[in-house]
Amino acid sequence: MNEHVLHAMNQWKQRQQQDKTSVDTKINTSMSRRGFLKTVSLASGGLALGFTIPACSTTETAKIASADVKFNPSGFIHLSENGDLLLYCGRCEMGQGISTALPAAVADEMEADWSRVTIKQADGNEELYGPQNTGGSASIRKMYQPMREAGAAAKEMLIIAGAKVFKTSVDNCYAENHFVINKNNQEKLSFGELASLAANSAIPESPTLKTKDQFKYIGKALDRHDQGLVVEGKRTYGVDTKLPGMKYAAISHCPVLGGTLKSLDKAAVLKMKGVIDVVEIAPIKHPFSSIGGVAVVADNSWTAQRALQQLNIEWDLGPNTVYNTKEYKQQLVKNVEKPAELITERGNLDKAFNDSAAKVSATYTGGHLCHAPMEPNASVVWVQKDSCEVWASTQSPADIQTVLAQYLKREAKDITVHVMMAGGAFGRKFKCDYVHEAAVISEQINAPVQLIWSREEDMRTGFYHSINAQHIEASLDAQGNVTGWLHRAAFPSINSLFQEGLDRAPKGAIGDIDNHPFAINNFRSESGEAPAHTRIGWYRAVYAIFYGFAFGTFADELAYKAGKDPVKFLNDVYDNNQNPEQADQVKRSKAVLALAAKHSGIGKELPKGEGIGIAVHYSFNSYVAMAVHVKVDGDNIKVLNVDCAIDCGQILNTDGATAQMEGAVVMGMSLSLYTEISFTDGAVVNSNFHDYPVMRISDMPNVRVHIVDSDEKPTGLGEPGVAPFAPALSNAIFAASGTRYRDLPIKPLSV
Amino acid sequence: MSKTIVINGVEHPIDVDENMPLLWFLRDRLEFTGTKFGCGSGLCGACTVHVEGQATRSCIIPVSALAGKSITTIEGLSENGDHPLQKAWLENNVPQCGYCQAGQIMNAASFLATNDKPSDADIDNAMQGNICRCGTYQRIKKAIKSVAYDLAKEV
Repeated sequence: MNEHVLHAMNQWKQRQQQDKTSVDTKINTSMSRRGFLKTVSLASGGLALGFTIPACSTTETAKIASADVKFNPSGFIHLSENGDLLLYCGRCEMGQGISTALPAAVADEMEADWSRVTIKQADGNEELYGPQNTGGSASIRKMYQPMREAGAAAKEMLIIAGAKVFKTSVDNCYAENHFVINKNNQEKLSFGELASLAANSAIPESPTLKTKDQFKYIGKALDRHDQGLVVEGKRTYGVDTKLPGMKYAAISHCPVLGGTLKSLDKAAVLKMKGVIDVVEIAPIKHPFSSIGGVAVVADNSWTAQRALQQLNIEWDLGPNTVYNTKEYKQQLVKNVEKPAELITERGNLDKAFNDSAAKVSATYTGGHLCHAPMEPNASVVWVQKDSCEVWASTQSPADIQTVLAQYLKREAKDITVHVMMAGGAFGRKFKCDYVHEAAVISEQINAPVQLIWSREEDMRTGFYHSINAQHIEASLDAQGNVTGWLHRAAFPSINSLFQEGLDRAPKGAIGDIDNHPFAINNFRSESGEAPAHTRIGWYRAVYAIFYGFAFGTFADELAYKAGKDPVKFLNDVYDNNQNPEQADQVKRSKAVLALAAKHSGIGKELPKGEGIGIAVHYSFNSYVAMAVHVKVDGDNIKVLNVDCAIDCGQILNTDGATAQMEGAVVMGMSLSLYTEISFTDGAVVNSNFHDYPVMRISDMPNVRVHIVDSDEKPTGLGEPGVAPFAPALSNAIFAASGTRYRDLPIKPLSV
Repeated sequence: MSKTIVINGVEHPIDVDENMPLLWFLRDRLEFTGTKFGCGSGLCGACTVHVEGQATRSCIIPVSALAGKSITTIEGLSENGDHPLQKAWLENNVPQCGYCQAGQIMNAASFLATNDKPSDADIDNAMQGNICRCGTYQRIKKAIKSVAYDLAKEV
């Protein structure tokens, strides 16, 4: 998710304050360290009087912290007398590895023994855990420092406790691997032994953090903490919650956005064995909530699904039946190949074009995508008179609390959200319509309900990545330097969720064009007409997918026109960036470019039909270059090797980072070659993996990941790897075959 | 006398609608949730179990068709999570979200039982029906190869 989307959400929220009929959403973008530590003052306040330690004031933590926990200096840290250390991950885990990386930062600063650490996913509680809505590759960027400080503070408190026992000064003591040690005589006290006493210490205001050479876990390759459970089938996801008396629901939505229920004949279905009820769900007025639907509740999922198929539902489809993506894409192309609404202008583009030695222009397009995580939308909700409890794979527990509080007319704090492991999410599970719907059903039937969307519903009632078109025109001087850049984009934007009637992407959504590190002096960006006819949402890497494709492929086209080798051409473009504020971006972009180029061997002699293409993209504050080596034989495109070079500042878990890049290649390859969501008469045509053919194992190239050893602030890696793949692939195919692909996916199925 | 089915060595009566797919019998009736729902159409492999040792998509096979048969799910693949593939999965840090991995492991276990010296192409062919959206394919291949290598050494 991009910053401008947060901005749009916040603006929307402000508007809603005048309109109490709709449901609020909570956007929390910042936090303070004091916020984390404020529970501590309660705990230590209690301790000053006695020797018991209330874990903290909230019922949730009181419940999770067992009686053995003696030292609980923040919501994240629970140390028991036997030395067991329970660490909570506040950010939502969906496979990106955050629940290993962040607790490892705590453990490192705390000098904890990693083998004594257990990690649990925190329930929704932003007061205790800071911002939990997980998107925008922001977890590490936001939480690295607070996590380290929490660990370092805990360590200092343990050292103070140790010094008291040793009857020596704090300076004479240090912590190492779960012990506090007296330097004078090497006497040791374990963290467990010191837990109760440490709880009496005041919380250090500004604990000393480690230097890089002192890191034990940060920057190393760590195993994912939960993989042992995964391989035994014991890891429980949103879809796996079981409760006594729980009922199972299946749901159907109107296939066209904005349609309404016309008629429903439920009599026959209600007579089916095992069917409990049929529930009509009215649309919930909130950008991420239910568009309304009909659910069947039964005593098992299969009966619910089967009954749903037999239900006679008629929809009034509404005005979006005009939506046909084939024609719409053609219209977007027309809209970017003529003057559009000016967004940003720098220098004198007309003069640059008039004075040019050569001009190049090209138009790039791409289709809608749906996230299609392996776990479809699923949740369990139990609404009772005095409580509401949610178990869900989610990226936004706080939004669930806010929406359900408003829907049920309760306080957000009274909505308990258990954040379950998400079986993939990729942005989809930030929008928790499937949780809100389960709450509606649970309230109606007065029982806990598990709602699982079918794969078909998941694919057809999504928040789709934008269909898009971009047209770029650029001028070259006699030396092959780029002198002017006109960039028009047209795509239905995420802002359309918050602003009805929006006819094109607003300035914020074009920002990544305006601020691209190429920074051509004479520049103009324009936004072409592109009204939304479906819900647009952020999909892993968001707009960087198509911006990366257009910038990266067009750069290669320019290099070809200029007669320069692509790596030299890119370096020249970066070197010509005269914006001092982007000096760092230039330097780091060039460094990853050099690293990927070196390892890929780009420029070397290759067998006929093979080629290497390269692209660099800066997104979500991280830098990624990819070099793709392909073999092309007619229509057959085989990706052999991919070299990824990354600079995400100080890396946390090198194995996790490597996994993110391998995954980004797979996702980039699916969307480059195969996947596209098509609409006909307003409805999604695709339904399951046969006509949304995500990449399978036989296409897996050899992926090599090269990490820049950086001391810069750490930034995220969940998304940045996706963008450079498509342009690097397209450039590789051109190098191999002379064919230039400008429309994604390259090999679409006709559905 | 009602029909029965053996799941991980334990006999269970088939006391549901005979058309119910095995997946939902496992998940909703017996509450064995290790076997996952992914597509409902046999297209993704997340629901893979063994029927008499043979990898089978549990989302499309009616439980009644399996009366008297012996089924193994991920929970029953090994006593202590120590099947060579489970160990290889850990050594190679395969899982990301992990949702598809039970199906991947069950499919690979069935395949390796019939082919202990697979080529890369054999692995691709055997594992083609199992989707991983996180993109762990490279590590899956590596893990399978490492087990095959160890098996070959034992002969």
